[in-house]
Amino acid sequence: MPAMPRPARSIWGETGIYWMLVMPALFMLLGFYIFPLVRVLWISVMEPTPGLGNYALLFTSASIHQVVLTTLRICLLTTGITLLLGYAVAYVMAQAGPRTQRWMMLGILLPLWISVLVRAFAWVALLRRQGVINNALVGMGVIEDPLPLIWNELGIVIGMVHYMLPFAVLPLLTGMRGIDRRCLAAARGLGASRTQSFLGVFLPLSLPGVVGAGILVFIFSLGFLVTPAILGGGRTLMIAEYISVQILDVVQWGVGTMLATTLIVFIFALLALLSRVVDLRRLFGAV
Amino acid sequence: MDRIQSFAEDNAEILKQEFGAGRLSRRDLLAGLGALGLAAVAPGAARAQARPEVVVVNFGGEAVPAFREAFQAPYVASGGRMVIDGSGPSNGKIKTMVQARNVTWDIADSGVAGTGELGPAGLLEEIDYSIVDKSKVDNEFAYKYGVANYMFSTVMAWDSKKISGKPTLADFFDVKKYPGRRMLRRSNQGMLEIALLADGVAPDKLYPLDMNRAFKKLDTIKQHCLYWNSGAESQSLLRDGECVMGLLWNTRANLLKRDSNSRIDFTYNQGLLQPGLWVVPKGNPAGKEAFRAIAAMQAPEGQVKLLASMGNGPANPAASALVPAELKAVNPSDPANVAVQAKIDADWYEKFGAAGLQRFLDNISA
Repeated sequence: MPAMPRPARSIWGETGIYWMLVMPALFMLLGFYIFPLVRVLWISVMEPTPGLGNYALLFTSASIHQVVLTTLRICLLTTGITLLLGYAVAYVMAQAGPRTQRWMMLGILLPLWISVLVRAFAWVALLRRQGVINNALVGMGVIEDPLPLIWNELGIVIGMVHYMLPFAVLPLLTGMRGIDRRCLAAARGLGASRTQSFLGVFLPLSLPGVVGAGILVFIFSLGFLVTPAILGGGRTLMIAEYISVQILDVVQWGVGTMLATTLIVFIFALLALLSRVVDLRRLFGAV
Repeated sequence: MDRIQSFAEDNAEILKQEFGAGRLSRRDLLAGLGALGLAAVAPGAARAQARPEVVVVNFGGEAVPAFREAFQAPYVASGGRMVIDGSGPSNGKIKTMVQARNVTWDIADSGVAGTGELGPAGLLEEIDYSIVDKSKVDNEFAYKYGVANYMFSTVMAWDSKKISGKPTLADFFDVKKYPGRRMLRRSNQGMLEIALLADGVAPDKLYPLDMNRAFKKLDTIKQHCLYWNSGAESQSLLRDGECVMGLLWNTRANLLKRDSNSRIDFTYNQGLLQPGLWVVPKGNPAGKEAFRAIAAMQAPEGQVKLLASMGNGPANPAASALVPAELKAVNPSDPANVAVQAKIDADWYEKFGAAGLQRFLDNISA
């Protein structure tokens, strides 16, 4: 190419024109996303008095310790159970024929379109004292007194696992589909039993998907508000609701925004961890 | 649903269902109001054009048409301009508006948690009692930053299929005498008071609340308790037999009694009388006109209509003479019912309300 003077280039650079194209989106993100986030951070260090007083509460407030521990406990439990169930579903799906796979996919995606509120109330109808399950069990004479299936952490975990399952199955499935079947065939050919080839070959190869799905489910679980409020019988306070009480009811925005900021930082840290284990772009569906 | 619901919020939901079930017609609400309400405020009509518009905000749904007919119609007929907005004036929203200096509301439907948290923070206008008539409201419910708009109660209800006779508050805390699950509101408001009443504190000696004593009392039945966030939840927990006794708002208790053919019964005895409060956000657009509107809404006729449609007791003592006989028993502010209840103290909530709520939530989730 002959070297021709191009003033436009010297101003915008080689890729300048592309930057111009993404500028509007970037500005929108700055204005409507980054700016409010910065304000949240700002309030957390400015209210009620400037300083890190709100952040000190993370270490001194028994109330916050309790809510953090409860949240972590429920989220870890949810993540663990979701992964177990999700793994089984994804495994079956990965082995199934294309037709069965399509039906299974429909079954997994369908609940995603039902509001979280509706699903929580559906669980109430199933799990309560005179609900479908307890009535059936009492009617069959299996139990005498209704089981405490709801208004406790068990109820919350049931509702949350149900909500989170698709978010575990989809990344797990992506991971399993990427596993080269010939490795399994080779293992079998070399004399490994079914269990051995699963434990020694398939499971390790699917682990990145498990870690990815696990962190994804865990992050989503941290923000649960409606499900614990409805299925917990009011006895379980998780961090999302705690923040909402601080902002909307007792108007202690300093504490609320501090917890929100902490939560965001924690989630970004988890995502950073995640990006070291798996390819984030693939996990979130980019090809 | 997902957070602790206020009384006013729940009102909106009740009305929605009642209109939906066809038990209330809007015309019924309007009937009679016109003549009575208009007569009371007619002299203002001449000033119509110059008066700024007053935006009254409540928690939406069918509470919007109810407020429209009880308050807006007579006000407009008297020459004022009023809009009812149903977008829900939570404390957080009022604070956001005032801090952003973009206040669009003039009068908000709030309560003692609203005046308590927002008033001292400088987010509310002081009620101008040179315009609002203190004699048209129980003196105990005319505060610096809020004035009673209607009355409601926290009452005890029980399932008469499982509880024989008329239980007392002491029985509520006695799971040996009456086994079964109890239901409480997921908020300190009302619950601490009732715990203390059950523990033998005299109704007029409740405040300042002895929180340690109240929590100790609540702890005695903690493992048997469920907590409701929204009024609808309180209704379904009792209706579905999840709980045998419960503390809830009189409006919901009344619906339960009606819908269950008195299987669920309730009493105002040892209940707690609470005010719904009008508050005016700092820097409200209509200025003093807001207080003229509040003064107009003190007319007893509109307040009686709210009793008929929502179960809210009139705040104006003069209204009790207008209450039809069949509504007297369910009216929380009926003199006979007031006499057996304790009254909430907003000053305490201003000082300790937030701490009390936090401690309550921490305690039940520990």
